[in-house]
Amino acid sequence: MNFLAQTTSTTTTTTGVTFPTLVLTAMVWIAVVFALAALLMPNQTQDQLRRIKSIGSTGAGAALFFAIWAVETQVPNAAGGTGGIPGGDLVEQHSWLSSFPIASSYHLDADGMALSVIVVVSVVFFCAALAAWRNQRHVKLLTVCLLTLETASLGILVSYDWVLFLLFWTLAIVPVYVLDRAFGHGHGTRTATRYAATSLVSAGLLLLAAVLIAFQAGAQSFDMGVTPVSLPGDGETVAFWLITAASLLAMAVVPLHGALLDLEEDSTGVLSAIFAAVLPSLGAYTLVHVAVGFFPTTSGSFSLFFAVLAVVTVVWGGLAAMRTDDLRRLIGHVGTVFMGLVLLGVAGHTSIAITGIMFLLLARGLVIGVLMLLASLIQERTRRVRISQLGGLAWQAPFLSAFWLLATLAAAGVPLLAGFAGDFFIFTGSFPAHRWASTVVLAGTLLASGALVWTAQRVFLGASRDTFERARDLGPLELTYIGILVGLIVLIGVVPGHFAELFQNGAGYILFPGVA
Amino acid sequence: MPAPNGMAVFATMLPTTLLVALAAVGGLLGWLRPGLPPSFHRWLGALALVGAAAAALVVLRGVALTNGVGLAAYAGGVVADRFSTFAVLLLCGTGLLAILTSGAAEERLGPRLPAYHALILTATAGGAILAVQVEMGMLVVGLGIVVISLVGIVAMEKTAEAPGVAAFRSLVSAGVALALMLYGLAIVYGATGSTDLAAVRGQFLHSAPLEGLGLALTLLGLAYLVGAPPLHHWMLQVASASSGAVAGAVVSIAVAAGGIALVRVMVSGFSATMHPWVVVAGVLGAAACLYPALLSVAAGSVRRLIGLGACLQGGLVLSALVGSGRASDLKPAGGVIALLFGLVVFVLAIQASFQAVARLEEDGIGGDLAGVRGLARRSPMAAVLLSLGLAGLAGLPPLAGFLVRILVASSAVAGGYAWVAVAGVAASAIYAVAVLRWIGAAYVEDDELPVVPHRTPRLASVVGLACALFGVVAMLLAGPLLYAADGAASVLR
Repeated sequence: MNFLAQTTSTTTTTTGVTFPTLVLTAMVWIAVVFALAALLMPNQTQDQLRRIKSIGSTGAGAALFFAIWAVETQVPNAAGGTGGIPGGDLVEQHSWLSSFPIASSYHLDADGMALSVIVVVSVVFFCAALAAWRNQRHVKLLTVCLLTLETASLGILVSYDWVLFLLFWTLAIVPVYVLDRAFGHGHGTRTATRYAATSLVSAGLLLLAAVLIAFQAGAQSFDMGVTPVSLPGDGETVAFWLITAASLLAMAVVPLHGALLDLEEDSTGVLSAIFAAVLPSLGAYTLVHVAVGFFPTTSGSFSLFFAVLAVVTVVWGGLAAMRTDDLRRLIGHVGTVFMGLVLLGVAGHTSIAITGIMFLLLARGLVIGVLMLLASLIQERTRRVRISQLGGLAWQAPFLSAFWLLATLAAAGVPLLAGFAGDFFIFTGSFPAHRWASTVVLAGTLLASGALVWTAQRVFLGASRDTFERARDLGPLELTYIGILVGLIVLIGVVPGHFAELFQNGAGYILFPGVA
Repeated sequence: MPAPNGMAVFATMLPTTLLVALAAVGGLLGWLRPGLPPSFHRWLGALALVGAAAAALVVLRGVALTNGVGLAAYAGGVVADRFSTFAVLLLCGTGLLAILTSGAAEERLGPRLPAYHALILTATAGGAILAVQVEMGMLVVGLGIVVISLVGIVAMEKTAEAPGVAAFRSLVSAGVALALMLYGLAIVYGATGSTDLAAVRGQFLHSAPLEGLGLALTLLGLAYLVGAPPLHHWMLQVASASSGAVAGAVVSIAVAAGGIALVRVMVSGFSATMHPWVVVAGVLGAAACLYPALLSVAAGSVRRLIGLGACLQGGLVLSALVGSGRASDLKPAGGVIALLFGLVVFVLAIQASFQAVARLEEDGIGGDLAGVRGLARRSPMAAVLLSLGLAGLAGLPPLAGFLVRILVASSAVAGGYAWVAVAGVAASAIYAVAVLRWIGAAYVEDDELPVVPHRTPRLASVVGLACALFGVVAMLLAGPLLYAADGAASVLR
């Protein structure tokens, strides 16, 4: 019996023995296994450091392998209506805490929403692990923390039990804190502490929501597989707002965006890419998958709130992006604008809008990841992050400039690039319910896109500067990981249909779980 | 309950008798034969604790023959049941850890090491009495033995002034706590005319304010052991003044014995249906969680941080107590299960943290933030112990303290005290932020100080590391541990 056979179906009967599927378990835990291996490695000589880096890349690569496996086992089923919804081939459930009055189990599963973010998380971490090859400081710490953070991030996405979900959610805080303390530029302690405090508050809110749901739903179980949840009295509203508040904190939408933006600005390139691309996506996943998925009716009744918040976030983010002079902060603001679009999709509360959110999260992670990595490469080459101090880099670094421009176009939602499908579906799905909000949000996204294009003009175009004449273009390693991200941006833009049914099924399950 | 008889007396008191007897033997040998090596006393103590644990398991077999009801002796004053077995095993485990790690304090204890070991055994024996008692007289006896033994352990370190002061302050706090408890019990006795806790429960009038006051005073007195405000200073004092090994022993035994006494007296004795004490426990639990958590943000030394963490665990014990009744659907709220599981986890996290302190002492590294900087490079083992211990106290995943918080919050909400759950969660988050600051300093801030040679005894190091790693193992083995806790709690319902 080979591993492939074991992992592509929940039960295999050729030998008369039942094998559990292991894809999600392997995907989640493989990174931390490699982290443990790295932890035990000596780190004195250059050879030893290289070995640790190899372990980091291999661990992230292995997680990516299983992530692709998980997605590709679902894509063929999507046409038949079984791919992209929970309870399919990927489900894993084993009893864990049965002696406590509220039972908990090791329950992993993945729907379309989760799969969209899984792709982003695994790809960005793999590229970050490759980018980290140039790092020479705290090599072991970086490798261990990155792999642990990847396990936590993937774990959040596939947990179908509140205890597991909270475990991974809280687990993600520690590596982020330690990494920012280690690699932060001067304000590491303050920004890291602020982010940790914010994240712990969100974890606390989620814990209270979980307990409330487990008791009031009457199931006496922490299992998240049964949706929608019906709670008596105001319990449903309270639980919905607890989860929503936690998600909004994690998504860093206006006015809760300060902690994450500071974190992104304060960190080094690889970390900024992960923090900006992955962490808000986990918040968005929680908002859509948990808050909306558990309480579709309640979330629908508060759609005006989400529409208003979307407008505020997008307009604020767009204006801030136009105004900022810091390259990394600019990308952070653009990421905030994307989160505003997610809010608009939630306000739209239609299958089309939710499908759009999945496409958007997929595109957003890749685009923000590329931009952050490119920003760090620009900083590395010029020793500057101020946009006003840069210019004419296209002469020295044509590939770098081209990739930046391509990512900018993807962020703007240009057709045949990854950003288009998400923007299109969100606006289409939200416009009937919130015409004014959709229009204003569209204007806000244009502001953000304009800021990116204007930045490209200021940074890359113009006369070549003597100070940057030794700035080199992308090397083979950099071309590899930037190429992977950009390649995916183009691929998803050209063939969005590959994921369309998967995401549609997932969206249908979130809004109409009974029907699905 | 089966009729008391000689066999029942023997069975219920067997672990206590063994511990006291071997404590006396160890103490006498230390006095008569001062030349015996420290390891002899260590292994004698370990043997006593393993023997007591084995005796508790034998008693469990006897309990099983009574359909799980339990063996009663002394006119029902003591009962051996599944709960007492769980409690004795926990106490013996705690005592064993204290004995096995005593090597780290060998220099400071000097010739008093045999007495130190004997006092650990008597403290454990006192805890064992608290586990089996269901009567006021036995409760006072058990608590008295525990308190005096713990104060004696602290006072054993005569090489410095601070431990002596800490011992004196502990004694004063213990006196106040015992007085409060005695007043409370006297009021309860006056109102009901019985010293038997089960009989008291049957005669209580739920709305009587005087009886409520009696219960509240009893609770306050017992809460002293788990370091709950207002009688928490002794724990901070011991954590700051005593050596790591001694502080670990005292605090962990106190928390274990205190938690067991609280369950036996308040839940098994007075019952969670007695509304007054549950409300007081909620208020006390919320305060005991929030107060040390807020102080921890400004903690200037790792000893104080750990001491505050230990107080926070005490607060969680009290928070679990409020969920020891029935949920709205009349199913058990699970507070006792959470509490018992939590005690196992807390004891090990406390031990691991104080072993890190012991390691810092041995390595000559200061316990302030400047001293901890770059610890991961200078003394990797101390850094691992410290980070795992602190993370365990803060309830950060993947350590089992995280699961305990979920269980405690769940049971508090189920018991109808959501505000206690909110306080516990908020306090844990605040304490986690404080802890992250120290862990971050240990791993990322390096002052290029020299690597220090390891001088901590190997046994103490291994035990400390095992305690720290148990936090992860307990997360994986939470199912069996909760099953055992459920079995112990089932006899109290």
